Amino acid sequence: MKKRDTFSTLHPSVEMLYFVWVLFITMFMMHPIVLATSLISAMVYAIYLKGAKAVKLQLFGVLPLMIITAVMNPLFNHAGVTTLFYLSNGNPITLEAVLYGVAASGMFGSVIVWFSCYNHIMTSDKFIYLFGRIIPALSLLLSMALRFVPKFSHQIKEVSKAQESIGRSVKDGNIMKRLIAGVRVLSITITWALENAVVTADSMKSRGYGLKGRTAYSLYKFDKRDKMVLLIFVIAALIFAASIISGKIYVRYYPSIRMNAEGALSILGYLAFLLFCNLPMILNIMEDITWRRLESKI
Amino acid sequence: MATLRIENLTFRYPKSDKNALENINLDVRDGEFMLICGNSGCGKSTLLRHFKSVLTPYGERTGQVFINDKPLGEYSDREQASNIGFVMQHPDDQIVTDKVWHELAFGLESLGYDQTTMRLRVGEMASYFGIQNWFYKSVTELSGGQKQLLNLASIMAMNPQILILDEPTSQLDPIAASEFLNTVKKINTELGVTVIMTEHRLEEAFCIADRTVVMKNGKIELFDTPQEVSKKINIEEDVFKSLPASARMFRLIETNKSCDCPLTVRDGRNFINSLNLKGEKLESKENNAVNTEPVLELDECFFRYEKQGNDILKGVSLKAYKGEIFCLVGGNGTGKSTTLSIISGLNTPYRGKIKINGKVQKRFQARDYKIGALCQDPRTLFVKNTVLEDLKEITNDEKKLKDIIELMNIRELLGSHPFDLSGGEQQRTAIAKLLLTEPEILLLDEPTKGMDASFKEKFGSMLKNMTSKGISIIMVSHDVEFAAKYADRCGLFFDGTIISENEPRTFFAKNHFYTTAANRIARSVFENAVLTEEVVALCRKQRQGL
Repeated sequence: MKKRDTFSTLHPSVEMLYFVWVLFITMFMMHPIVLATSLISAMVYAIYLKGAKAVKLQLFGVLPLMIITAVMNPLFNHAGVTTLFYLSNGNPITLEAVLYGVAASGMFGSVIVWFSCYNHIMTSDKFIYLFGRIIPALSLLLSMALRFVPKFSHQIKEVSKAQESIGRSVKDGNIMKRLIAGVRVLSITITWALENAVVTADSMKSRGYGLKGRTAYSLYKFDKRDKMVLLIFVIAALIFAASIISGKIYVRYYPSIRMNAEGALSILGYLAFLLFCNLPMILNIMEDITWRRLESKI
Repeated sequence: MATLRIENLTFRYPKSDKNALENINLDVRDGEFMLICGNSGCGKSTLLRHFKSVLTPYGERTGQVFINDKPLGEYSDREQASNIGFVMQHPDDQIVTDKVWHELAFGLESLGYDQTTMRLRVGEMASYFGIQNWFYKSVTELSGGQKQLLNLASIMAMNPQILILDEPTSQLDPIAASEFLNTVKKINTELGVTVIMTEHRLEEAFCIADRTVVMKNGKIELFDTPQEVSKKINIEEDVFKSLPASARMFRLIETNKSCDCPLTVRDGRNFINSLNLKGEKLESKENNAVNTEPVLELDECFFRYEKQGNDILKGVSLKAYKGEIFCLVGGNGTGKSTTLSIISGLNTPYRGKIKINGKVQKRFQARDYKIGALCQDPRTLFVKNTVLEDLKEITNDEKKLKDIIELMNIRELLGSHPFDLSGGEQQRTAIAKLLLTEPEILLLDEPTKGMDASFKEKFGSMLKNMTSKGISIIMVSHDVEFAAKYADRCGLFFDGTIISENEPRTFFAKNHFYTTAANRIARSVFENAVLTEEVVALCRKQRQGL
């Protein structure tokens, strides 16, 4: 069963904004604390959403990739002033390159995990809706394509079944024979699709397609909760942005490592980012608590 | 509100030497339910397409269509889009978008309504049609009946004054079809929408219409209330065959024209009872084939699609004999089509045996006998640009080709593209192609879907023709009337297995609901008469004896 997720019941624009910001920060900030926050939050959220499947992906997909990235960087990048040792071919391994590699692997890992969350939450409906706001014609086109593709592949299956029943199977004979049978099925299915397109076009015309001033129906409403969450987003993002711009959160890897000293403002920035990354989890936990209370009262 | 008037409409398709519509005069009153019937190709659909400018076919035309006394052409496209709703035959092809909610909103989006109005209209329609439970679904998950209901709902969301339906139930099974018709009737009576509908299955549609038009060769033959039409229509006419069973019985038995003609089973039963006939029982049909070795035998076959799934077939056992028609009837989703697929070898049962001529078939190996399977859409069989090329794909033997072409009567179709043929012609061509593979067993899935009554008769005699040549036919059908008339044996399929099986007379006499209209009308007098013709013959015999 699919886990219930509160975050995905928000307005699509809020969700999109969340992902854009979190991915942007993760991709362009190489700060270790920021990256660690991002990576851990993403992992926790992915596991919350998808359970064992997410653990599997992280262990066998993301982790090896991160290790490879971390090892590769110092092997090929020799910038930096602190030499640790020399390779047999005479190239130095530097502390800066090792640390940069670790940071880059953290960046890679968190981007992948965030994207797996994104895929889970931004369904085609939401995506089409958001794009429909920008380019209305495109959203209808996408929706029609999503209608057409399954219909077409279903028909291909039907035709090949029918052909199989008269001994013209796509599965029999040598490659050439199969190829010819396959092309034949495809060509007749295209004819079929064009035939049907005439009916579909009639159906569209008779429902007024092509009249001026087309609008788009939306399933989503921007409600008070969306406003609240958006406000928290903005505040957290602004605090974090402020601490970056004022140089309170800052890192430099080459030629030598320089990082900001931990002051009140930088800690505030970390906290703001931590809050931001974990907002979906916070929403979920809040709702879980509400439900536990509701159920225990019954 | 909406009235519709047609004055002297004549229409001819380009490059045709015959008028598709000839001098049509018709007026439809406000809020009326008008039924247009006639054989395939009589011009029904062409006429309907003249009620909406964007759908009007290209060709030579004289005469005019008026809506509320204003010519149709003077209405803007916007007015026509919202005021005249048009539902077509194929449920699947009319759906434009991928989600139910989007489809419902499609028309409103085109008309440019704002969000609040759209929400209201979509919500209203979803509630009225009971769509709220599948509102978020993909349209691919819907059944045929649900799809057609969605098409209707998405038209109704635009709040039309006139609703036009072109054979809307021809692709649906009987249960979905009657649900659909009831919804149309509800729209007509509760919302006062003027309805104009064409239909060839009149059993149910006939009695809910206010007035009926009978068309033939592009002309209006009769235009009156269903009551009068069923009294006036010539019994030699093709359309007569598709009238409700009770009306046909009345016309064939009763000579007194002043009585009311019964249109429903209830009225038909009262009519038969009023004749004071003696009870009689027909001999059950002899079936000698049953004593021979079966051609095909399924022995307790079990099948499911996935290991974790539910069993679709739960121990199906059936025998088919040489030269007989075996018909499986039963509801949707009970596993009838799946049974055909395990016979044809597309699927393999995980338990149970399939024997051909007494020989057990090995699993996952090609069947060592010839089987021809016709699925619901005959178009899936065609792969070439002309009918002749398509047939030649199977064999080049001139003599065989000639025989089959004669048998299926498709000589004049040879040059056409298979997709340009009408439904019945496609069906014939597909069967011709199957027969060229010289099957011993022919599997037919819903062969009578979308056929009109007079073609069904031709089709039935074609099947008989084939069985006389020794071919066995196994057929899956919702059409109990057809099964009763042509099958040698019938089986009722339910819950993955055959729960009753017999020759048609005994079979249908045992059922109370799943039986022909004629049987339901006359069963209190003639226990096992299942065909209108049988009931009529028995009545006539007794009356002449008096």
